[in-house]
Amino acid sequence: MDRALSWLLGGRRPLASHLLLAPAAAWMIVFLVLPAAGLLLLSLAKNGPYGEILWTLSLNNYRRAFDPKYLPVLLRTLGFAGGTTLLTLLLGYPLAYFLSFRAGRWRNAMLIGLMVPFWTSALVAFYSWMIILGKEGLLNAALLRFGFISAPISILYTSFSVLLGLVYFYLPFMVLPLYGSLEKIPRQYVEAAYDLGADRWTAFRKVTLPLSLPGVIAGSLLTFVPCLGDFLTAEILGGPRYYLLGNLISNQFLMAQDWPFGAALTCLLLTCLVGGLWLYRRWDDQA
Amino acid sequence: MMMTDATRRDFLKIAVLAPLMPALMAACRRADTRRVVNFYNWSNYIGKDTLPEFTRRAGVSVRYDLFADEEEMFAKIRAGARGYDLVVIGDYLIPRFKSLNLIDAVPSGTLKNMGNLAPRFRRPSYDPDETTIPYLWGTTGIAYNRRKLAKQPSSWWDLWDPKYKDRISMLDNVRDCVAVAMQLLRIPQTTRDPEDFRKVRELLLRQKPLVRQYSSSSYLNSLVAGEIDLAMTWSGDLFQAARDNPDLDYVLPKEGTYMWVDCLAMLRGSRHREDTLRLIDYLLEPEVAGSISNSVRYATPNAKAFPLVEKALRRDPRVYPTPQTMGQLQLHHILDPEQSEMWNQVWADVKVS
Repeated sequence: MDRALSWLLGGRRPLASHLLLAPAAAWMIVFLVLPAAGLLLLSLAKNGPYGEILWTLSLNNYRRAFDPKYLPVLLRTLGFAGGTTLLTLLLGYPLAYFLSFRAGRWRNAMLIGLMVPFWTSALVAFYSWMIILGKEGLLNAALLRFGFISAPISILYTSFSVLLGLVYFYLPFMVLPLYGSLEKIPRQYVEAAYDLGADRWTAFRKVTLPLSLPGVIAGSLLTFVPCLGDFLTAEILGGPRYYLLGNLISNQFLMAQDWPFGAALTCLLLTCLVGGLWLYRRWDDQA
Repeated sequence: MMMTDATRRDFLKIAVLAPLMPALMAACRRADTRRVVNFYNWSNYIGKDTLPEFTRRAGVSVRYDLFADEEEMFAKIRAGARGYDLVVIGDYLIPRFKSLNLIDAVPSGTLKNMGNLAPRFRRPSYDPDETTIPYLWGTTGIAYNRRKLAKQPSSWWDLWDPKYKDRISMLDNVRDCVAVAMQLLRIPQTTRDPEDFRKVRELLLRQKPLVRQYSSSSYLNSLVAGEIDLAMTWSGDLFQAARDNPDLDYVLPKEGTYMWVDCLAMLRGSRHREDTLRLIDYLLEPEVAGSISNSVRYATPNAKAFPLVEKALRRDPRVYPTPQTMGQLQLHHILDPEQSEMWNQVWADVKVS
């Protein structure tokens, strides 16, 4: 037993340790490579009568995807994803800073507090928001009660409610990497800056902020990328005017019964995301 | 208490439980020697005691699963959702299910209670060889909040009235929305003229800035909560919602409208054929069909059940329209694949822009 294990862990024949990769590799092949290949193949197929899939391969679906009528959807999606990233960063950075530098013994409780909404199903969370934001919901009732408004206003099904839902859901995606990178900064560096005469703001600007940049970038990517494919938020909290890329894709599969076109859109989105990440890695390695 | 006291809000609970379904079904599969029928139906579309009573009588348990959108149901079954035996599908979907070989014909000759159906629901145009069995029928019309609207709506054009901006909801359903647009433009559903479809698209796009929601189920909560005041709706759904908000009412637009028939279909590859047929036969019994109609507020195609429907419901012209209105009701035209594609394209364009 011991011999077998040490053989597996490398020992004199490091090649054997490649076997350690087998479970993960099998997982990746079954759940990533094969589905992705299937998706690619499907995107080349043709949509037949009643949504049947005809295997006459062509690039037609990709040509359709570049129809200018989809441009507003793309721009809207980029806008919401960008806005969400920016807002979660503005909200998340001070929070992560506080967690890392100031929270003291409350830190763990606060981290758990941050994670609780994240553990709840997004569906339940968004339905709760509907109850809060509705015309006869809690927020309108409160605003009316305190005399800020004289008649209920529309909060639900506006760009505000979509953005609120996205920020609410993606905040932990931003805060956790930020917290991680702030946590790693050796406190002596900050103290050294003080010793050299820097005030708090200068020390933050010249030491803490630059050292936390990897967290800012990781958090932004973790927010921006899934935001591009999000459809649930717009579906539940958005009205008809907030139709996003994710809704366009999900509707191809669920409503329009045009799977090949949906697959083509998905492949395009994936290509852009993976391409973007690859460019970022290259830039990061050089920097 | 009847099940319909619950509103579509219950869909929330179901949606939350849905992720557990595969695990539950896997757990159940091991004991598949038990007698069971897997039934896939619209939410709030059966009486509370209907299925327990069947189990008690026949010794066959029913695993009941729900959907809130029939295109989604279709997508799921087409994608190979195995394990359902019985499914409720709209008349217009039947040719689609048939052409993709998703259903087996119900041998209607073997059903004891087949004769209970009213003659007008026998050998219908959408299913002349009776491979499916009519379950309930209803109409598509306008729901509105009496307290919030100065004047009762009477026409489909009221859903295009700028006065009601942001207070309107439309069914998120290609069949109903495109059909109504065609009716308003006096375009026959048989058309394949691209120019006609351009006009339909234009009409629906003109309406879009006024529309707060395209939805086929959650709009009912919005109506109850006063979030919207005017909605394109399916008759019975609104009557169920009106239990929670008595200000809600339903009108059949003066231009006439559509009626549709939801049918019981047996899915191909069902492993419980005998018991599925037994369940279908049971649902055709007058007392059973009558009590379902009473609780879901849709009309029953079952002539023998009609006298057993509550008097108020039976005499309600919004549920059972007068012979004159009945004359104005039409079934959806059965689209061929090419037309179906054109309809879907218009609807996709409206949603996307």
